[in-house]
Amino acid sequence: MKKNDLIKLNNVGKTFGKSKALNEVSFSIPKKSIFGLLGPNGSGKSTLMRILSGLIIKWDGEIFFENQNIKLNQKHFLKRCGFLIENPTFYEYLTAHQNLSLLARLSSCSDHSIASVLADVDLVEDADRKVGDFSYGMKQRLGIAQAILHNPDILFLDEPNNGLDPIGIQEMNKTILKLHEKGKTICVSTHILGDVEELCSDVVILKEGKLIHSSSMEFLIDQSEEFVIRSKEIESISLKLTRSNNCKIKSLEKEKLIIKTKLDIHSINQLLPKNSVVRSISKEPNLADLFK
Amino acid sequence: MIKFLIYNEFQKIFYRKRTYIGFILIAILIPFIVGAIDNGGNMLEKSIYGQLSDSFFFVGSLINGYLATYIIIAVLITHMPFLSTIIAADIVSGEYSKGTFRLYLSRPIPRSKILLSKLIIVYLYTILLMAFFIGYSLLISVVWLGTGELAVFHMGLLFLSEDDALVRFFIAFLTSTVVMLTVSSLCFYISTISKNSVTPIIITISTVFVGTAISIIPIEFFKIINPYLFTGYINSYLSAFHDPIPYDAILRLLLICILWTGAFLTFAFNHFIKKDITD
Repeated sequence: MKKNDLIKLNNVGKTFGKSKALNEVSFSIPKKSIFGLLGPNGSGKSTLMRILSGLIIKWDGEIFFENQNIKLNQKHFLKRCGFLIENPTFYEYLTAHQNLSLLARLSSCSDHSIASVLADVDLVEDADRKVGDFSYGMKQRLGIAQAILHNPDILFLDEPNNGLDPIGIQEMNKTILKLHEKGKTICVSTHILGDVEELCSDVVILKEGKLIHSSSMEFLIDQSEEFVIRSKEIESISLKLTRSNNCKIKSLEKEKLIIKTKLDIHSINQLLPKNSVVRSISKEPNLADLFK
Repeated sequence: MIKFLIYNEFQKIFYRKRTYIGFILIAILIPFIVGAIDNGGNMLEKSIYGQLSDSFFFVGSLINGYLATYIIIAVLITHMPFLSTIIAADIVSGEYSKGTFRLYLSRPIPRSKILLSKLIIVYLYTILLMAFFIGYSLLISVVWLGTGELAVFHMGLLFLSEDDALVRFFIAFLTSTVVMLTVSSLCFYISTISKNSVTPIIITISTVFVGTAISIIPIEFFKIINPYLFTGYINSYLSAFHDPIPYDAILRLLLICILWTGAFLTFAFNHFIKKDITD
């Protein structure tokens, strides 16, 4: 286990009947990273999340958290983790506050922490509404609230953008970035490439229960496509792209910028002002190619 | 920690409308039955006296609150398993089907404690329901019809002293509650293995039906196995109205029910602790 690794998985496997949902998967999650667990539906992402959260009891292999085998000290591991597994499910006949109170009692959290997490996910005004009346996006945000209720060091978010509209996705991504800024390690599982490209610093790709790729986003970007952007607002564009995890500025001239990124041309275009022109100047395999 | 878990389970059932179905049904039904007994008292007395009325002259009335309560228990006791399973059926399976276990079981709490808190709530609900059933019946009946000697059939017509009546009803409450707790334990166990809350009710009620049939049908084999089945004791509250009270039969009932309850709970905990939550 490297010094910077928070979690290390060693040959983790899970079989349901005759089908192998996970097949000897090994990788590490670095501290304070936003870690992307990418894969198509049925690739084993949710199974892995359920193993980590203790929902699945019988599995093979080993998982180490801060060098301790979680099978031997699962309570300690779960205390330090927050989970949002698949779609948000709450006691719909209870209010948001009551739902969080139930969970707060399990983690010995105060009422103050409930108010604080509701503020973090922008649900203070809806705290006394029944969860059954919430929209899907609000439930998803409440899902994040329950995951961070006990101030965990590491968050596991299983398909957090699933079922959200574009505005909901933007809000969710903002929430994830905000939590990362607070020093949390975040593991996001998703089948949406854009989520990983926008958020993650490290990524693994699962397919049919097997690990097919593991690297940092930086490494991926180094192998990624180059684009030339022409615009009169080239400086502000450069600043904007520099802030993103997923772009590397190669050169900056007057009204011309060359970048390397895993984003596709359509995603880049969305980031640019109207009078800009973007053109690809190289073509190497990107995340989508690996995903296939 | 367990008190927080119990409080959580209490909060979960307190805010659900279905929790109150049993209590509301009993609250509505019992005044109707007491009213009917009051109204049709003469007919009831005639059927109790039977041919005795040809040879004896009776002064006063047999109809009073105690007799009414006795009749209410006799009529409704076989239906109580329906009501006592309302909470037990859903308490675990409901969390599987709605997916709320994904929140609840990913916390650093042993599953055994979570299941224990649910079991305690199921038992409290069952005890409360039975106490309400018998206590409310007594209250309404006595307020409406007053008190008096309790006439029951046990080896002929037996008149029990008015002073003993409350103690006997308390013993009837204890014996019938023990059987109902066993029924709830069965339902609770099925709830831990089922992914919906209808299956536990169907299986439990079917078991009670089959068990009751076994206790009624006069076949030698059934007579041999019936004493070992908890379903054979659903009407055992009657023994509280025998003279003298057969404490050895009540002890046997306790033993059989405890053994069945122990078996159901062992299966339930064993299954739940090892279960993969995949929904």
